[in-house]
Amino acid sequence: MLEQPYLLIVASSLAIGLIAGFVMHRSDFCVTASFRDMFLFRDFFLMRQMLLLIAVSMVLFEGGRLVGIITIHPFPLLGAPTLANVIGGFAFGIGMVLAGGCVCGSLFKFGAGSAASLLAVIGMIAGSAFYAEVHPQWAAFARATVLVEKKVTLAQWLELPPTLLLLPLATALGFWLWREFRAGRMDRPAFAAGHLAPWRAAVILALLGFASYVLVGMPLGITTTYAKLGLAIESLFAPEHVSSLAYASAMPLNYTPPFADRAISGGPGPQLDAIAALQYPLILGIVGGAFYSARRVGEFRLQWRLPPRQWVSALLGGMLLGLAARMAPACNIWHLWGGVPILAMQSLLFVVGLVPGTWVGARLLTRFVVR
Amino acid sequence: MRMSHTIDLDIRGQICPSCLLLTLKEVNRHAAAIRGGGTEIVVTTDDRQATATIPSTADRMGFSTEVSRLDGGYRIRIFGTA
Repeated sequence: MLEQPYLLIVASSLAIGLIAGFVMHRSDFCVTASFRDMFLFRDFFLMRQMLLLIAVSMVLFEGGRLVGIITIHPFPLLGAPTLANVIGGFAFGIGMVLAGGCVCGSLFKFGAGSAASLLAVIGMIAGSAFYAEVHPQWAAFARATVLVEKKVTLAQWLELPPTLLLLPLATALGFWLWREFRAGRMDRPAFAAGHLAPWRAAVILALLGFASYVLVGMPLGITTTYAKLGLAIESLFAPEHVSSLAYASAMPLNYTPPFADRAISGGPGPQLDAIAALQYPLILGIVGGAFYSARRVGEFRLQWRLPPRQWVSALLGGMLLGLAARMAPACNIWHLWGGVPILAMQSLLFVVGLVPGTWVGARLLTRFVVR
Repeated sequence: MRMSHTIDLDIRGQICPSCLLLTLKEVNRHAAAIRGGGTEIVVTTDDRQATATIPSTADRMGFSTEVSRLDGGYRIRIFGTA
Protein backbone atom coordinates (compact mmCIF):
# COMPACT_ATOMS: atom_id res chain seq x y z
CA MET A 1 0.00 0.00 0.00
CA LEU A 2 1.11 3.52 -0.71
CA GLU A 3 1.66 5.70 2.30
CA GLN A 4 1.28 9.41 2.68
CA PRO A 5 2.51 11.63 1.10
CA TYR A 6 2.90 9.30 -1.88
CA LEU A 7 -0.77 8.31 -2.08
CA LEU A 8 -1.92 11.89 -2.63
CA ILE A 9 0.88 12.57 -5.13
CA VAL A 10 0.18 9.46 -7.20
CA ALA A 11 -3.61 9.93 -7.15
CA SER A 12 -3.43 13.66 -8.02
CA SER A 13 -0.91 13.17 -10.83
CA LEU A 14 -2.90 10.32 -12.35
CA ALA A 15 -6.18 12.25 -12.25
CA ILE A 16 -4.55 15.40 -13.67
CA GLY A 17 -2.88 13.34 -16.42
CA LEU A 18 -6.14 11.64 -17.40
CA ILE A 19 -7.99 14.94 -17.74
CA ALA A 20 -5.05 16.58 -19.56
CA GLY A 21 -4.79 13.70 -22.06
CA PHE A 22 -8.52 13.82 -22.76
CA VAL A 23 -8.56 17.60 -23.16
CA MET A 24 -5.46 17.77 -25.36
CA HIS A 25 -6.79 15.06 -27.67
CA ARG A 26 -10.20 16.70 -28.04
CA SER A 27 -8.74 20.14 -28.74
CA ASP A 28 -5.62 19.00 -30.65
CA PHE A 29 -3.67 21.13 -28.22
CA CYS A 30 -0.19 20.91 -29.65
CA VAL A 31 2.56 23.08 -28.17
CA THR A 32 4.90 22.16 -31.01
CA ALA A 33 2.38 23.37 -33.59
CA SER A 34 1.87 26.63 -31.69
CA PHE A 35 5.53 27.54 -32.24
CA ARG A 36 6.17 25.75 -35.53
CA ASP A 37 3.12 27.07 -37.39
CA MET A 38 4.17 30.67 -36.78
CA PHE A 39 7.16 29.97 -39.02
CA LEU A 40 5.66 27.43 -41.42
CA PHE A 41 2.33 29.12 -42.13
CA ARG A 42 2.45 32.51 -40.37
CA ASP A 43 -0.38 31.06 -38.32
CA PHE A 44 -0.56 32.50 -34.79
CA PHE A 45 -3.83 30.88 -33.74
CA LEU A 46 -2.34 28.25 -31.42
CA MET A 47 0.27 30.69 -30.06
CA ARG A 48 -2.60 32.90 -28.86
CA GLN A 49 -3.98 29.89 -26.98
CA MET A 50 -0.55 29.30 -25.44
CA LEU A 51 -0.40 32.93 -24.27
CA LEU A 52 -3.89 32.52 -22.78
CA LEU A 53 -2.68 29.44 -20.87
CA ILE A 54 0.33 31.38 -19.57
CA ALA A 55 -1.79 34.40 -18.58
CA VAL A 56 -4.38 32.30 -16.72
CA SER A 57 -1.61 30.31 -14.97
CA MET A 58 0.12 33.56 -14.00
CA VAL A 59 -3.03 34.84 -12.30
CA LEU A 60 -3.80 31.48 -10.63
CA PHE A 61 -0.26 30.85 -9.35
CA GLU A 62 0.21 34.36 -7.99
CA GLY A 63 -3.35 34.49 -6.58
CA GLY A 64 -2.76 31.09 -4.93
CA ARG A 65 0.48 32.34 -3.43
CA LEU A 66 -1.12 35.52 -2.10
CA VAL A 67 -4.01 33.71 -0.43
CA GLY A 68 -1.67 31.07 0.96
CA ILE A 69 -2.77 27.89 -0.82
CA ILE A 70 0.48 27.82 -2.78
CA THR A 71 3.17 27.56 -0.17
CA ILE A 72 6.28 26.64 -2.16
CA HIS A 73 7.46 29.61 -4.23
CA PRO A 74 9.34 29.29 -6.49
CA PHE A 75 8.58 25.61 -6.91
CA PRO A 76 11.31 22.93 -6.57
CA LEU A 77 13.84 21.92 -9.25
CA LEU A 78 14.19 25.44 -10.63
CA GLY A 79 17.66 26.91 -10.34
CA ALA A 80 19.74 29.92 -11.26
CA PRO A 81 19.61 30.95 -14.94
CA THR A 82 22.51 29.78 -17.12
CA LEU A 83 23.46 29.69 -20.77
CA ALA A 84 22.61 25.99 -20.65
CA ASN A 85 18.92 26.97 -20.54
CA VAL A 86 19.17 28.83 -23.87
CA ILE A 87 21.16 26.08 -25.62
CA GLY A 88 18.87 23.38 -24.22
CA GLY A 89 15.81 25.31 -25.39
CA PHE A 90 17.32 25.76 -28.87
CA ALA A 91 18.03 22.03 -29.28
CA PHE A 92 14.61 21.24 -27.81
CA GLY A 93 12.93 23.41 -30.45
CA ILE A 94 14.63 21.55 -33.31
CA GLY A 95 13.86 18.20 -31.70
CA MET A 96 10.17 18.83 -31.08
CA VAL A 97 9.49 19.92 -34.66
CA LEU A 98 11.28 16.88 -36.11
CA ALA A 99 9.64 14.52 -33.59
CA GLY A 100 6.19 15.83 -34.59
CA GLY A 101 5.29 16.73 -31.04
CA CYS A 102 6.77 17.66 -27.70
CA VAL A 103 6.81 15.52 -24.59
CA CYS A 104 3.09 15.96 -23.90
CA GLY A 105 2.00 16.07 -27.55
CA SER A 106 3.74 12.81 -28.39
CA LEU A 107 2.12 11.13 -25.36
CA PHE A 108 -1.43 12.12 -26.26
CA LYS A 109 -0.92 11.31 -29.95
CA PHE A 110 0.49 7.91 -28.97
CA GLY A 111 -2.58 7.41 -26.75
CA ALA A 112 -4.77 7.99 -29.80
CA GLY A 113 -2.86 5.32 -31.74
CA SER A 114 0.05 7.05 -33.49
CA ALA A 115 2.97 4.62 -33.77
CA ALA A 116 5.26 7.44 -34.94
CA SER A 117 4.61 9.26 -31.67
CA LEU A 118 5.48 6.10 -29.75
CA LEU A 119 8.73 5.98 -31.70
CA ALA A 120 9.33 9.63 -30.81
CA VAL A 121 8.75 8.80 -27.11
CA ILE A 122 11.22 5.88 -27.36
CA GLY A 123 13.70 8.30 -28.92
CA MET A 124 13.12 10.74 -26.04
CA ILE A 125 13.82 7.99 -23.49
CA ALA A 126 17.01 7.01 -25.33
CA GLY A 127 18.15 10.65 -25.65
CA SER A 128 17.45 11.29 -21.96
CA ALA A 129 19.43 8.20 -20.94
CA PHE A 130 22.30 9.26 -23.20
CA TYR A 131 22.50 12.57 -21.35
CA ALA A 132 23.69 10.66 -18.27
CA GLU A 133 26.93 9.94 -20.19
CA VAL A 134 27.74 13.62 -20.70
CA HIS A 135 26.19 15.00 -17.52
CA PRO A 136 29.43 15.81 -15.63
CA GLN A 137 30.76 17.95 -18.49
CA TRP A 138 27.42 19.61 -19.20
CA ALA A 139 26.73 20.33 -15.52
CA ALA A 140 30.17 21.96 -15.27
CA PHE A 141 29.36 24.13 -18.31
CA ALA A 142 25.97 25.07 -16.80
CA ARG A 143 27.64 26.05 -13.52
CA ALA A 144 30.33 28.06 -15.29
CA THR A 145 27.77 30.05 -17.27
CA VAL A 146 25.37 30.98 -14.45
CA LEU A 147 24.14 34.49 -15.16
CA VAL A 148 22.70 35.44 -11.78
CA GLU A 149 23.82 33.50 -8.73
CA LYS A 150 21.23 32.03 -6.36
CA LYS A 151 18.26 33.81 -7.92
CA VAL A 152 15.43 31.87 -9.54
CA THR A 153 12.76 34.37 -10.54
CA LEU A 154 12.97 37.78 -12.15
CA ALA A 155 11.35 39.27 -9.03
CA GLN A 156 14.06 37.75 -6.80
CA TRP A 157 16.78 39.17 -9.04
CA LEU A 158 15.23 42.64 -9.08
CA GLU A 159 14.42 42.32 -5.37
CA LEU A 160 10.78 43.24 -5.95
CA PRO A 161 7.58 41.64 -4.68
CA PRO A 162 6.43 39.19 -7.43
CA THR A 163 3.00 40.86 -7.67
CA LEU A 164 4.58 44.13 -8.74
CA LEU A 165 5.89 42.46 -11.91
CA LEU A 166 3.11 39.94 -12.48
CA LEU A 167 0.09 42.20 -12.05
CA PRO A 168 0.91 44.68 -14.85
CA LEU A 169 2.06 41.86 -17.13
CA ALA A 170 -1.07 39.76 -16.55
CA THR A 171 -3.26 42.84 -16.99
CA ALA A 172 -1.61 43.75 -20.30
CA LEU A 173 -1.85 40.15 -21.53
CA GLY A 174 -5.46 39.96 -20.37
CA PHE A 175 -6.38 43.18 -22.18
CA TRP A 176 -4.71 41.99 -25.38
CA LEU A 177 -6.41 38.56 -25.17
CA TRP A 178 -9.78 40.22 -24.55
CA ARG A 179 -9.30 42.19 -27.78
CA GLU A 180 -8.33 39.02 -29.63
CA PHE A 181 -11.51 37.33 -28.35
CA ARG A 182 -13.62 40.31 -29.43
CA ALA A 183 -12.05 40.25 -32.88
CA GLY A 184 -12.90 36.53 -33.20
CA ARG A 185 -9.27 35.45 -33.43
CA MET A 186 -9.36 33.03 -30.47
CA ASP A 187 -11.77 30.65 -32.14
CA ARG A 188 -11.96 29.03 -35.53
CA PRO A 189 -14.42 26.65 -37.18
CA ALA A 190 -13.74 23.04 -36.22
CA PHE A 191 -15.25 19.88 -37.61
CA ALA A 192 -13.54 17.04 -35.73
CA ALA A 193 -15.88 14.81 -33.70
CA GLY A 194 -16.27 15.92 -30.08
CA HIS A 195 -14.00 18.91 -30.68
CA LEU A 196 -13.16 21.14 -27.74
CA ALA A 197 -12.22 24.75 -28.55
CA PRO A 198 -8.50 25.28 -27.87
CA TRP A 199 -9.16 28.35 -25.70
CA ARG A 200 -11.30 26.23 -23.40
CA ALA A 201 -8.52 23.63 -23.33
CA ALA A 202 -6.00 26.36 -22.45
CA VAL A 203 -8.10 27.40 -19.45
CA ILE A 204 -8.59 23.77 -18.31
CA LEU A 205 -4.86 23.02 -18.67
CA ALA A 206 -4.01 26.13 -16.65
CA LEU A 207 -6.42 24.94 -13.94
CA LEU A 208 -4.76 21.51 -13.99
CA GLY A 209 -1.33 23.09 -13.58
CA PHE A 210 -2.70 25.09 -10.66
CA ALA A 211 -4.25 21.96 -9.11
CA SER A 212 -0.89 20.22 -9.44
CA TYR A 213 0.93 23.16 -7.84
CA VAL A 214 -1.54 23.22 -4.92
CA LEU A 215 -1.72 19.46 -4.36
CA VAL A 216 1.81 18.24 -5.04
CA GLY A 217 3.82 21.45 -4.80
CA MET A 218 4.77 21.98 -8.42
CA PRO A 219 3.23 22.32 -11.93
CA LEU A 220 3.31 19.56 -14.54
CA GLY A 221 6.66 17.91 -15.26
CA ILE A 222 7.51 14.76 -17.15
CA THR A 223 10.98 14.49 -18.59
CA THR A 224 13.10 13.51 -15.59
CA THR A 225 11.15 10.27 -15.70
CA TYR A 226 12.21 9.68 -19.30
CA ALA A 227 15.79 9.61 -18.02
CA LYS A 228 14.65 7.43 -15.12
CA LEU A 229 12.92 4.95 -17.42
CA GLY A 230 15.86 4.95 -19.85
CA LEU A 231 18.33 4.28 -17.04
CA ALA A 232 16.05 1.58 -15.58
CA ILE A 233 16.03 -0.23 -18.94
CA GLU A 234 19.79 0.28 -19.34
CA SER A 235 20.41 -1.13 -15.86
CA LEU A 236 18.80 -4.40 -16.92
CA PHE A 237 21.69 -4.87 -19.35
CA ALA A 238 24.52 -2.88 -17.77
CA PRO A 239 23.78 -2.43 -14.04
CA GLU A 240 27.38 -1.65 -13.11
CA HIS A 241 27.71 1.02 -15.75
CA VAL A 242 24.46 2.70 -14.67
CA SER A 243 25.42 2.67 -11.00
CA SER A 244 28.77 4.23 -11.91
CA LEU A 245 27.06 7.24 -13.54
CA ALA A 246 27.06 10.36 -11.36
CA TYR A 247 23.76 11.41 -12.93
CA ALA A 248 22.01 8.21 -11.82
CA SER A 249 22.77 8.90 -8.17
CA ALA A 250 21.90 12.61 -8.26
CA MET A 251 18.91 13.58 -6.09
CA PRO A 252 17.98 17.09 -7.24
CA LEU A 253 14.47 16.95 -5.77
CA ASN A 254 14.24 17.28 -2.01
CA TYR A 255 11.17 18.99 -0.62
CA THR A 256 8.27 18.70 1.76
CA PRO A 257 5.11 18.51 -0.35
CA PRO A 258 1.95 20.33 0.73
CA PHE A 259 -0.20 18.20 3.04
CA ALA A 260 2.90 16.18 4.05
CA ASP A 261 4.73 16.04 7.34
CA ARG A 262 8.08 14.92 6.02
CA ALA A 263 10.46 15.66 3.18
CA ILE A 264 10.74 13.36 0.17
CA SER A 265 13.42 13.20 -2.47
CA GLY A 266 13.97 11.95 -5.96
CA GLY A 267 16.24 11.95 -8.99
CA PRO A 268 16.76 10.53 -12.45
CA GLY A 269 18.18 7.19 -11.24
CA PRO A 270 16.19 4.01 -11.90
CA GLN A 271 14.78 3.75 -8.35
CA LEU A 272 11.14 4.39 -7.45
CA ASP A 273 11.19 7.71 -5.57
CA ALA A 274 9.40 11.07 -5.40
CA ILE A 275 10.08 11.82 -9.09
CA ALA A 276 8.59 8.45 -10.03
CA ALA A 277 5.52 9.12 -7.84
CA LEU A 278 5.01 12.53 -9.46
CA GLN A 279 5.67 11.72 -13.09
CA TYR A 280 4.92 8.07 -13.93
CA PRO A 281 1.20 8.50 -13.09
CA LEU A 282 1.08 11.74 -15.11
CA ILE A 283 2.55 10.00 -18.16
CA LEU A 284 0.17 7.04 -17.84
CA GLY A 285 -2.72 9.44 -17.29
CA ILE A 286 -2.05 11.48 -20.44
CA VAL A 287 -1.79 8.36 -22.61
CA GLY A 288 -4.87 6.82 -20.94
CA GLY A 289 -6.94 10.02 -21.18
CA ALA A 290 -6.19 10.41 -24.89
CA PHE A 291 -6.90 6.71 -25.49
CA TYR A 292 -10.29 7.03 -23.77
CA SER A 293 -11.10 10.21 -25.72
CA ALA A 294 -10.19 8.65 -29.08
CA ARG A 295 -12.24 5.53 -28.29
CA ARG A 296 -15.26 7.62 -27.31
CA VAL A 297 -15.36 9.33 -30.72
CA GLY A 298 -14.54 6.11 -32.58
CA GLU A 299 -11.19 7.44 -33.80
CA PHE A 300 -8.72 5.17 -32.04
CA ARG A 301 -6.71 3.15 -34.50
CA LEU A 302 -3.14 2.12 -34.77
CA GLN A 303 -1.57 4.41 -37.35
CA TRP A 304 1.71 3.11 -38.61
CA ARG A 305 1.59 3.77 -42.36
CA LEU A 306 3.92 6.71 -42.73
CA PRO A 307 6.57 7.70 -45.27
CA PRO A 308 10.00 6.33 -44.12
CA ARG A 309 11.45 9.85 -43.83
CA GLN A 310 8.84 10.69 -41.20
CA TRP A 311 9.74 7.60 -39.15
CA VAL A 312 13.39 8.59 -39.16
CA SER A 313 12.48 12.17 -38.30
CA ALA A 314 10.29 11.07 -35.36
CA LEU A 315 13.07 8.90 -33.92
CA LEU A 316 15.93 11.37 -34.41
CA GLY A 317 13.79 14.32 -33.30
CA GLY A 318 12.73 12.38 -30.21
CA MET A 319 16.35 11.58 -29.33
CA LEU A 320 17.42 15.21 -29.72
CA LEU A 321 14.42 16.37 -27.69
CA GLY A 322 15.18 13.88 -24.90
CA LEU A 323 18.80 14.97 -24.72
CA ALA A 324 17.84 18.67 -24.88
CA ALA A 325 15.25 18.26 -22.12
CA ARG A 326 18.03 17.12 -19.78
CA MET A 327 20.42 19.84 -20.95
CA ALA A 328 17.86 22.64 -20.54
CA PRO A 329 16.95 21.16 -17.94
CA ALA A 330 13.26 20.20 -18.28
CA CYS A 331 10.76 20.37 -21.10
CA ASN A 332 8.56 23.02 -22.68
CA ILE A 333 5.53 22.08 -20.55
CA TRP A 334 7.50 22.60 -17.34
CA HIS A 335 8.88 25.92 -18.54
CA LEU A 336 5.93 27.34 -20.50
CA TRP A 337 3.10 26.22 -18.25
CA GLY A 338 5.03 26.38 -14.97
CA GLY A 339 8.16 28.54 -15.00
CA VAL A 340 7.14 31.35 -17.36
CA PRO A 341 3.96 32.18 -15.35
CA ILE A 342 6.12 32.86 -12.25
CA LEU A 343 8.81 34.54 -14.41
CA ALA A 344 11.47 31.96 -13.57
CA MET A 345 14.60 33.14 -15.36
CA GLN A 346 15.56 29.61 -16.45
CA SER A 347 12.20 29.28 -18.18
CA LEU A 348 12.43 32.67 -19.88
CA LEU A 349 15.88 31.75 -21.21
CA PHE A 350 14.53 28.37 -22.36
CA VAL A 351 11.94 30.22 -24.47
CA VAL A 352 14.68 32.53 -25.84
CA GLY A 353 16.35 29.38 -27.23
CA LEU A 354 13.16 27.55 -28.13
CA VAL A 355 11.92 30.11 -30.68
CA PRO A 356 14.96 30.08 -33.03
CA GLY A 357 15.25 26.30 -32.47
CA THR A 358 11.71 25.87 -33.76
CA TRP A 359 12.56 27.99 -36.80
CA VAL A 360 15.57 25.77 -37.60
CA GLY A 361 13.41 22.66 -37.03
CA ALA A 362 10.77 23.98 -39.44
CA ARG A 363 13.44 24.61 -42.10
CA LEU A 364 14.82 21.09 -41.69
CA LEU A 365 11.32 19.62 -41.81
CA THR A 366 10.35 21.23 -45.11
CA ARG A 367 13.81 20.63 -46.61
CA PHE A 368 14.34 16.97 -45.68
CA VAL A 369 11.23 15.37 -44.21
CA VAL A 370 7.98 16.42 -45.88
CA ARG A 371 8.42 16.24 -49.65
CA MET B 1 -21.95 17.97 -55.71
CA ARG B 2 -18.87 16.93 -57.72
CA MET B 3 -17.33 19.38 -60.14
CA SER B 4 -16.25 18.70 -63.69
CA HIS B 5 -12.70 18.10 -62.52
CA THR B 6 -11.99 16.64 -59.11
CA ILE B 7 -8.47 16.12 -57.79
CA ASP B 8 -8.45 13.48 -55.06
CA LEU B 9 -5.75 13.83 -52.43
CA ASP B 10 -5.62 10.90 -50.03
CA ILE B 11 -3.33 11.81 -47.14
CA ARG B 12 -4.57 9.26 -44.62
CA GLY B 13 -1.73 8.25 -42.32
CA GLN B 14 -0.04 11.64 -42.66
CA ILE B 15 0.22 13.71 -39.50
CA CYS B 16 0.58 17.43 -38.85
CA PRO B 17 2.10 19.49 -40.40
CA SER B 18 2.49 17.28 -43.50
CA CYS B 19 -1.29 17.28 -44.02
CA LEU B 20 -1.40 21.03 -44.47
CA LEU B 21 1.93 21.21 -46.35
CA LEU B 22 0.89 18.56 -48.90
CA THR B 23 -2.56 20.10 -49.33
CA LEU B 24 -1.10 23.57 -49.84
CA LYS B 25 1.28 22.21 -52.46
CA GLU B 26 -1.68 20.78 -54.40
CA VAL B 27 -3.84 23.88 -53.91
CA ASN B 28 -1.08 26.19 -55.13
CA ARG B 29 -0.45 24.00 -58.16
CA HIS B 30 -4.12 24.24 -59.23
CA ALA B 31 -5.01 27.62 -57.72
CA ALA B 32 -6.11 29.26 -60.98
CA ALA B 33 -8.27 26.30 -62.01
CA ILE B 34 -9.93 26.13 -58.59
CA ARG B 35 -10.59 29.87 -58.62
CA GLY B 36 -12.10 29.49 -62.11
CA GLY B 37 -14.78 27.30 -60.58
CA GLY B 38 -14.47 24.09 -62.61
CA THR B 39 -11.95 22.29 -60.41
CA GLU B 40 -12.02 21.15 -56.81
CA ILE B 41 -9.65 19.32 -54.51
CA VAL B 42 -11.04 16.62 -52.24
CA VAL B 43 -8.73 15.77 -49.35
CA THR B 44 -9.22 12.56 -47.38
CA THR B 45 -7.51 12.63 -43.99
CA ASP B 46 -7.63 10.89 -40.63
CA ASP B 47 -5.82 13.68 -38.78
CA ARG B 48 -8.14 15.64 -36.51
CA GLN B 49 -6.00 18.73 -36.55
CA ALA B 50 -6.14 18.90 -40.35
CA THR B 51 -9.91 19.43 -40.19
CA ALA B 52 -9.23 22.78 -38.55
CA THR B 53 -5.99 23.90 -40.18
CA ILE B 54 -6.81 23.06 -43.83
CA PRO B 55 -10.18 24.89 -43.93
CA SER B 56 -8.86 27.95 -42.06
CA THR B 57 -5.81 28.24 -44.34
CA ALA B 58 -7.87 27.68 -47.52
CA ASP B 59 -10.39 30.29 -46.33
CA ARG B 60 -7.59 32.80 -45.80
CA MET B 61 -6.47 32.14 -49.40
CA GLY B 62 -9.97 32.94 -50.62
CA PHE B 63 -11.24 29.41 -51.29
CA SER B 64 -14.36 27.77 -49.91
CA THR B 65 -14.31 24.54 -47.96
CA GLU B 66 -16.72 21.87 -46.80
CA VAL B 67 -15.88 19.18 -44.24
CA SER B 68 -17.73 15.89 -43.82
CA ARG B 69 -17.05 12.85 -41.68
CA LEU B 70 -16.20 9.50 -43.22
CA ASP B 71 -15.79 6.13 -41.63
CA GLY B 72 -12.47 6.53 -39.84
CA GLY B 73 -11.64 9.96 -41.16
CA TYR B 74 -12.73 13.19 -42.76
CA ARG B 75 -13.23 14.57 -46.26
CA ILE B 76 -12.41 18.19 -46.97
CA ARG B 77 -13.61 19.78 -50.24
CA ILE B 78 -11.71 22.85 -51.39
CA PHE B 79 -13.37 24.79 -54.21
CA GLY B 80 -13.63 28.25 -55.73
CA THR B 81 -16.49 30.62 -55.20
CA ALA B 82 -16.62 31.94 -58.78
